[in-house]
Amino acid sequence: MTSLLLRRLGFSLFSLVVVSLLLFVLTRSIPESPARIVLGDDATAAQIAAFDRDHGLDQPIVVQYAAWLERVVLAGDLGQSFTTGLSMNRQIADTFPVTMELVVVAFVVASMLSIVLGTLSAFYRDSPIDYFARLLAVLGVSIPGFWLALVLILTFAVDLDWFPPGGFVPLSEGLGPHLLSIALPCFCLAVFYLAVITRMTRSSLLEVLNQDYMRTARASGLGRGRLLMYAMRNALLPVVTIAGVSFGHMFGWALIIEQIFNIGGMSRALLTAINQRDYFMVQTVVMVFTIVFVLANLLADLVNAWLNPRLAAVAS
Amino acid sequence: MVNGCGGPAGFAGACIAGLLVFASIFAPLIAPYDPVAVSIIDKLMEPDAAHWMGTDQSGRDVLSRVIWGSRASLAVAGFAVLIGVTLGVAIGLFATWVRGSWLEQAIMRVLEAVSSIPILIWAIALVGIFGVRDAQWGPFIVSSETKLLVLLGLLYIPTLARLTYVSALGEVGANYVAARRLQGVGELGILFSDVLPNCLSPVIVQATLLLAIGIIVEAAVSFVGLGVQPPTPSWGNMLASGRDYLISGEWWLSVFPGAAISLTVVAFNLLGDGLRDRFDPRHSTSMGYAT
Repeated sequence: MTSLLLRRLGFSLFSLVVVSLLLFVLTRSIPESPARIVLGDDATAAQIAAFDRDHGLDQPIVVQYAAWLERVVLAGDLGQSFTTGLSMNRQIADTFPVTMELVVVAFVVASMLSIVLGTLSAFYRDSPIDYFARLLAVLGVSIPGFWLALVLILTFAVDLDWFPPGGFVPLSEGLGPHLLSIALPCFCLAVFYLAVITRMTRSSLLEVLNQDYMRTARASGLGRGRLLMYAMRNALLPVVTIAGVSFGHMFGWALIIEQIFNIGGMSRALLTAINQRDYFMVQTVVMVFTIVFVLANLLADLVNAWLNPRLAAVAS
Repeated sequence: MVNGCGGPAGFAGACIAGLLVFASIFAPLIAPYDPVAVSIIDKLMEPDAAHWMGTDQSGRDVLSRVIWGSRASLAVAGFAVLIGVTLGVAIGLFATWVRGSWLEQAIMRVLEAVSSIPILIWAIALVGIFGVRDAQWGPFIVSSETKLLVLLGLLYIPTLARLTYVSALGEVGANYVAARRLQGVGELGILFSDVLPNCLSPVIVQATLLLAIGIIVEAAVSFVGLGVQPPTPSWGNMLASGRDYLISGEWWLSVFPGAAISLTVVAFNLLGDGLRDRFDPRHSTSMGYAT
């Protein structure tokens, strides 16, 4: 178990280093220099050289990367934006929790509902509930979330006026308004993954239920609940993996959903940074997304190792 | 024909996809109006016999814009997959060729590491970094559309390279490859003429599903204003401008381009799932177009 954990952790760190290095090189390979962007077109060569020297931009890229990594890892300091001068820690701290809340709520709803629905659908195969689950799975993966969002705004916010058409109401202004303001965005985020995880749960459980050991367990007279417990332990493995990947993807989609619902999360931070040509802020936001993605996958691996000790045994 | 696409659903997907490609190629002949012709008198008209999908805030015909918009979506999705498949297969085969060496290990570890890149965010960020405006690059003018398709193609490489590598590695151990080797065929010759054709089917399936992802990513990137630039129509930028008119009740501005995106995505997903059923019936569950 420890060996597996260390290996997965090591690989995750390696991924982050490779990806951050790639991102670092890309953000520094753009034709227009940060000095030009900040100081304007009529800055003299001397001013630009001074700016680069002050910010360490005249150093070789590897040295810059090492300095950046040291600051981020040891001091937890993401640095300052060149164009706005604002602390990037501050900007991330302002926007990250909003996005995180949307994604976590959507993820919890999607995974709970889909595992229940997928299980029922596999246990009562070819019953009405199975047809319902399969229909939902097809619809859910086919409708792009951002279009669904527009249709939902049109129906439930404009025509029926049940929900606000956009905007984010913080929790401090009351639980009711807060929940109403995140209901539609969370739903739009959740639908696709609800479909994907339901589909995966159903097919994985059906495969396990057809195994010889399950037939033996049934033949030896085990009750439904016991059978379900044995089956789930094996059937959940691919489901957990997909759920882990889904969590990371949901973060990406939250970007678009936030835009449609006019919610000031990470998407605003990213798009503002792009519009202001604040490339180091863009780099930071993308890095935060990538870290979440890698961590979600790592967590899924660990849950799998805990569910199925065989995986840990193979690794060690 | 129907079986070639893995059943009726796959065939339906192929038909819809074929129609869309046809519509985008012959857009100038099919579209009833000029997609960028502004006519303020006709603005925001509800769908009727003259304008089947209504007109937008500048009086442009929405149907014509949806038909022309298919060009941007399909071009980005198609060329990105072409780039991804070409380079991905090449890298996958190269890793198989140098198998057993440190180079193989290095390539595969790096590919695995960059597979942890969430495509949508990177596409948005990279297009943002490289700029939305047209860039002059030697004799070529690079539009934001071109930047998007190249970047998307590069982001596809890890998936396709790993897929090729895994199936190629399975093939090089097969008996027929050993037989070819005994016939005196060189290793590179075997890779291209024997191994490559045999490991293409999973790549084709994945490529079809990546087409669906490409459509979605193009729409999403154009939606946030970083892809195809107005007045050139694309489904994504039509959705974005239609959003402003949703609350005032002009639903046709956003509903029709959205429906076009959904239809295209469904078509490629059905085709991809159908092909998967045909080539690899054991794994008939897919992740669909998740990016």
